[in-house]
Amino acid sequence: MPTHRLLNPLTWLISPLALLALWGLVADAGIFPRNLLVPPTQVLHTFEDLVASGELLEHLRNSLSRLGLGFGIGSLCGLAFGILMALSKQVEAYCSPLFHTLRQIPSIALIPMFVLLFGIDETFKIIIVAKTAFFPVALAASEGIKAIPRSYFEVADVYRLRWPTLVREIALPAAVPSIITGFRISLTRAWVVLVATELLAADSGLGQMIEMSRQMLRIDVVMVGVIVTGVIGFALDFSFRQLEQRLFRWQTR
Amino acid sequence: MPRLLGKYRGLLLPLLLVGGWEYLSRQDAAGAYAFVPLSSIGAALLELLGNGELLVNLAASLARTSSGLALGILFGVALGVWMALSPLANRLIGPLFHSIRQVPMLGWIPLIAMWFGNGEFSKVLIVTLAALYPMVLNTYQGFVHVEQRYREVAQVLVLSRPQQFVHVLLPAALPSIASGALQTLAFAWVTTVGSELFLSSGAGLGNLMMNAEAGSRMEVIMLSVLCIGLCGYLMNLLFTRLSRHLLRWRATR
Repeated sequence: MPTHRLLNPLTWLISPLALLALWGLVADAGIFPRNLLVPPTQVLHTFEDLVASGELLEHLRNSLSRLGLGFGIGSLCGLAFGILMALSKQVEAYCSPLFHTLRQIPSIALIPMFVLLFGIDETFKIIIVAKTAFFPVALAASEGIKAIPRSYFEVADVYRLRWPTLVREIALPAAVPSIITGFRISLTRAWVVLVATELLAADSGLGQMIEMSRQMLRIDVVMVGVIVTGVIGFALDFSFRQLEQRLFRWQTR
Repeated sequence: MPRLLGKYRGLLLPLLLVGGWEYLSRQDAAGAYAFVPLSSIGAALLELLGNGELLVNLAASLARTSSGLALGILFGVALGVWMALSPLANRLIGPLFHSIRQVPMLGWIPLIAMWFGNGEFSKVLIVTLAALYPMVLNTYQGFVHVEQRYREVAQVLVLSRPQQFVHVLLPAALPSIASGALQTLAFAWVTTVGSELFLSSGAGLGNLMMNAEAGSRMEVIMLSVLCIGLCGYLMNLLFTRLSRHLLRWRATR
């Protein structure tokens, strides 16, 4: 039984390893031209080369700093706007039709328009990332605050809690879980949109590395870029999920 | 009068925005370049409608979305059912599926473009993949979370496995599948436009935008963005109505 339990997690590795082996075999057999289907070992070598020359890290740093700046601006504005929309009926009445209309427009579709408006400099990328991050956070914040049950406030009334206590002890714990989820969704979306933006128009960054190597038919570099993009997206999502779980252990839901 | 204002105050901000846009477009040549006057957007609409360009591109995009969607939903449901019903399949395919899922859809575009060219096949493949992921996840969730008492009823009635599937599991999983299809719809539409932006060949709204960007025709881009947003909204609305109607037998929570 103990060996069985030990082997159990290993079965999860079967299919990825099988795919890797199949890929290696087919690539080595030379059925397809070598520059179209590169063997996994070559992708690994290219990865090592790119890391050693610092090229990958340079691109990564550019992409991540764009993501950080754009996401920071967008999500904080979204948070503030969402809270305002939830707390004030006036603000909601004035802003919600425009908000919900703009929310329908996918960020990717805005890329050509923003290129014409802002050029293809850094501003354009940060604006588009900020726009992507803004809407999910704003929506989650306003919905999360509105979803606080009225009875909580009545209890607070009974205990004659003062405002700061009310916010700290009741409103925040009740609304924060959905806000954190909004942050997580908007971060992963922002990452995807940023890479897409760099694919279309950039002079540095992970997406630009992929697009450049595509034009030079370097599939190995493209694959390294695609895998790194996936790993980063996963890491961002995973760390936010861990944060969620750690913060809300007390929740029974 | 105040009541009239109260009812229509949501329109105030959009009108201000449009007014500001028009004002900026009349300032100087640079303004007129970036912020095209409303009249020229109207003229472009008439022009594109007149020579049928808008309709042709819209139809091409919609056809691509629906074929990708149909394939994605079909394979997604099949794969999800398979993974949910057979623990072996889940153990073998699951890890592979979840690791491939981490790479954002748009990251695949350069690789797919290199392998399959930038024709119709690549675009439909991309949309199909984009539709596949949420479908598999939701179908799997739907089948795994069938209530235990339903399964017990099926055991008490000694239903055969196909009977269990048709009469117990499938109806219980349908709402989850429907919500998966709703997510998929929005996803497929955005991905279609995205893939057309990257692989700009043939007809399609994305391609129309790319051409307009090259010719810096802001009014055409504006029209396309509006069209994309509107179509996404209408699809969403239509599908929500449809699924509510089809699933009306189900007691809503």
